Amino acid sequence: MESRPLVVVGAGESGTAAAIEAARAGVQVTLIDENPIPTAMAGLNVPQFFGRRFVSTLGNKAQMLERMTAANDALAEADAAGVEVQLGTCVWGAFRNSDTSRVLEGPQLGLADHERSWLVKYDRLIVATGARDVGVGFAGWNLAGAMGANGAHSLIHHYQALASRRMVVLSTGNLGLRTAEMALDRGIEVAAVVDVSGSARGERALTAALRDKGVKLYTSHTVREAVGRDGEIESVVLVEIDDNCEPVGGTEKEIVADTVCLAIGLAPNVELPSLLGCDLAFDPELGGYVPVHDDWMRTSLEDVFVAGDVAGFHDGMVLDAEIARNQGRLAGVAAAKSLGAIDTPKAVARRNDLKATGTDSKPYDAYSHWRRWLRALLNVGGPDVFACPCEEVTRADLIDLRPPRFLNRQTERTSRPSLKALAKDAPVNPDQVKRLTRAGMGHCQGRLCREQVALLLADASGTDVADMPVMSYRPPVRPLPLRVMWPHDEPDQVRNEWAKWFSPTQQVLG
Amino acid sequence: MSVDRADVVVIGAGVSGLSSAYFLAKAGKDVLVVDKGIVGGEASGRNGGMVSERVDEPLLIPLAVEATELWTTLDEELGHPTEFTQEGRLQVAVTEAEMGDLLAERDVALRHGIDVALVEPPEIRDMIPGITERTLGGLFFANGGHANTQLTVQAYAWALQDLGGRLYQNTTVTGLRIVDGRVASVETTAGDFAAEFVIGAAGPQTGLLAELVGANVPVAPARVEILATAPVELRFPIALVGNGLYGHQAVRGNLIFGGGAHEWADVELTASPGKPNTPLIRNIARRLAELLPGMADVPVIRSWAGVVEQAPDYRPIIDILECPSNYVVVTASAHGFGISPATGKVVSELVLHGESSIDIRGLGLDRFSGVGRGWREERGWSPVPQRA
Ligand SMILES: Cc1cc2nc3c(=O)[nH]c(=O)nc-3n(C[C@H](O)[C@H](O)[C@H](O)COP(=O)(O)OP(=O)(O)OC[C@H]3O[C@@H](n4cnc5c(N)ncnc54)[C@H](O)[C@@H]3O)c2cc1C
Repeated sequence: MESRPLVVVGAGESGTAAAIEAARAGVQVTLIDENPIPTAMAGLNVPQFFGRRFVSTLGNKAQMLERMTAANDALAEADAAGVEVQLGTCVWGAFRNSDTSRVLEGPQLGLADHERSWLVKYDRLIVATGARDVGVGFAGWNLAGAMGANGAHSLIHHYQALASRRMVVLSTGNLGLRTAEMALDRGIEVAAVVDVSGSARGERALTAALRDKGVKLYTSHTVREAVGRDGEIESVVLVEIDDNCEPVGGTEKEIVADTVCLAIGLAPNVELPSLLGCDLAFDPELGGYVPVHDDWMRTSLEDVFVAGDVAGFHDGMVLDAEIARNQGRLAGVAAAKSLGAIDTPKAVARRNDLKATGTDSKPYDAYSHWRRWLRALLNVGGPDVFACPCEEVTRADLIDLRPPRFLNRQTERTSRPSLKALAKDAPVNPDQVKRLTRAGMGHCQGRLCREQVALLLADASGTDVADMPVMSYRPPVRPLPLRVMWPHDEPDQVRNEWAKWFSPTQQVLG
Repeated sequence: MSVDRADVVVIGAGVSGLSSAYFLAKAGKDVLVVDKGIVGGEASGRNGGMVSERVDEPLLIPLAVEATELWTTLDEELGHPTEFTQEGRLQVAVTEAEMGDLLAERDVALRHGIDVALVEPPEIRDMIPGITERTLGGLFFANGGHANTQLTVQAYAWALQDLGGRLYQNTTVTGLRIVDGRVASVETTAGDFAAEFVIGAAGPQTGLLAELVGANVPVAPARVEILATAPVELRFPIALVGNGLYGHQAVRGNLIFGGGAHEWADVELTASPGKPNTPLIRNIARRLAELLPGMADVPVIRSWAGVVEQAPDYRPIIDILECPSNYVVVTASAHGFGISPATGKVVSELVLHGESSIDIRGLGLDRFSGVGRGWREERGWSPVPQRA
């Protein structure tokens, strides 16, 4: 099996900065990024919420590679620093020995390009996998054209492949304002920027600039529905809400748009730290569960570091990429130090430098903002809107713990199963609810719905979201066709001594 | 700490414990179930969902046949859906050796009056569209099937609660208090529960629990892995075994297949064992792509692992201890899901009448009189040493 001294996953701001920093310290670095991704995945909204709003050139891998590299000067810098850059390569698994799994040769990653998969061992790992779009649902959010801010950013910035003419942006945080600004720059009309809060939440200057360009901001508003034809969004109906998030009668307005871009917030992409067993802690200001780390960006595992949005995202970071880059540099220094490439005094000096240039961050409770959005959408849209679009599980299905619709069967017994009863002995466990309702069990594995599901369950059962366990992550964390997962490197021993369910003659592999 | 009481306290909210609890509650007993985690949080909610007559293990046939019959009406019985599908089970051979095994199994099945038939490759291809051309033949069991593990285990739990039974999740058993040769109460993190009968259905922890009362119940825990694909159009409702894998297509359309090496493990009485996957899932994926070449483009979306326990002779244990005389041992030896309705029925009969209407000879503890404490090491069924 191949082995690398330092693998950095994610070639965004923080990951690329980490790779450059470590390479300059003399470490042999491998920087991996899944972009450009296969279009089949993009169509499934994995890993990003693209809402099928991409042009077909996305399928041209060579062209997309060219654009990605052109859009990111730091990649060239990394290359010049001697970093081995692997694009179009996803990390779908992370494995290490534990109490009940002891036969691995050491910590390793499962990698795949569009055609095949392989394994790579590492001495140190920096996870810089960023954040993903948080989804909250309205009627029609399963139509093509409902997408996320992060997805839009990626399609615009990396790929120049966003297929949208007229967009409605949800939320007036910096994430929403920046998305609107970026769309305008690309010649996309921005029909409205909408927020449930009473005033715009992001930087004043950004709001003013958008207003100057004629963009209309709808505060104290929410979405009643996205109206579509042939599976495509054609217009969006907004409605005003009062202080209790209840709709105000007679205030509906229908806005023509082909895209609704959710910019409510981002949640850290903690799949890999979670698979490896890094400790995670819930922090509502940083987007939910984040890997616990020390002031060297080192997680609870000695050999694993985090940097950038995966270590915790807040709206202030949208305007200041230097925060993520500095975290990356710090993780790069720390990894180099732990590999013995630089000594401690030098590393400490560098850390102090980085601290000095660090900018003020202004986190606020993202969860309370998401909760407010959800409350408004629930009041306006009712319980029959999908909570989990992949598996078509509505909010009512979820809260009532209804068995999947395809079973065509409802409980007839008098004592209907209830969430409260389930939550009697402990905080509601989203994995348990998922198994009963299928919410989060689809091809996106809850990427889009976990925050919404957690909030709905918390509210319905009287549990604090902070007390709810994280909905589990399992490999492969990217949908991987059987033929891609296929181990071309399969050892003869595994091939020939394959055990059929504890058959007495078979050995355990060692 | 408070002391509560019940007629029967069941340790373990897996299929074995909950099925036992359900049948006892149905017979009018006041039943209380405790589990250190959630309902079906361990093997019972993590398995392949296969239901069969266990022709591979003749001593189990009476129990397994009873189970397949109970399954046919289980949804109505419990009042909650299990997704049980009884369209048969097909075992295919891709090598001559496997074909020989199938023929031998057929003979056993016929001797036990089980509805079984050999099928030729063309028929196999009709039954499982997209299956490999490489099959040499198959054995079709008309009464086999599969169910949704997580719905099933919760169905038992809800049915128990519908009958007034109590269920305490996230409640860990820490000790058993013995008075005059009987378990007087079960000590848990939520207080002590006094009981007339105690049922130890703690899966891999069953042996450790028995140790608390000085009994030797030899079981070795092991971790096993399985995976699921994205849903695809429904092609085969039949449970399928072949190319080193077992599995089925769920009603929703996902292919759920497992197989391959298990890894012996140690567990702790009060902790949930780790259940990581390993790169073995790639080898499973390959075998699945070989078995169903027509599905090679279907993406795998998830994999998981579970910890099961295995007795030295691979058979379940269902017995009442001699001392303490009110303690029932129930452990499934890694095949507990399919037989679970019958397991519960047997346990309830043992508790109520001291004997079972189903032939469970060969499942008692007497068969281990010669098995010493060091049996796992002797067999090589201990975990490999942890690497540095
Ligand atoms: C991947 C996989 C595939 C499988 N495929 C099949 C299949 O296709 N067909 C089939 O028939 N079988 C299959 N099995 C086996 C089957 O899942 C198990 O045999 C069965 O679920 C055992 O059920 P149980 O109730 O006896 O034990 P478990 O499900 O292990 O339940 C025991 C319970 O006891 C609890 N417990 C333990 N210690 C304590 C304590 N101190 N205090 C309180 N509670 C405690 C645990 O939390 C657990 O919930 C498979 C297993 C796995 C893992």
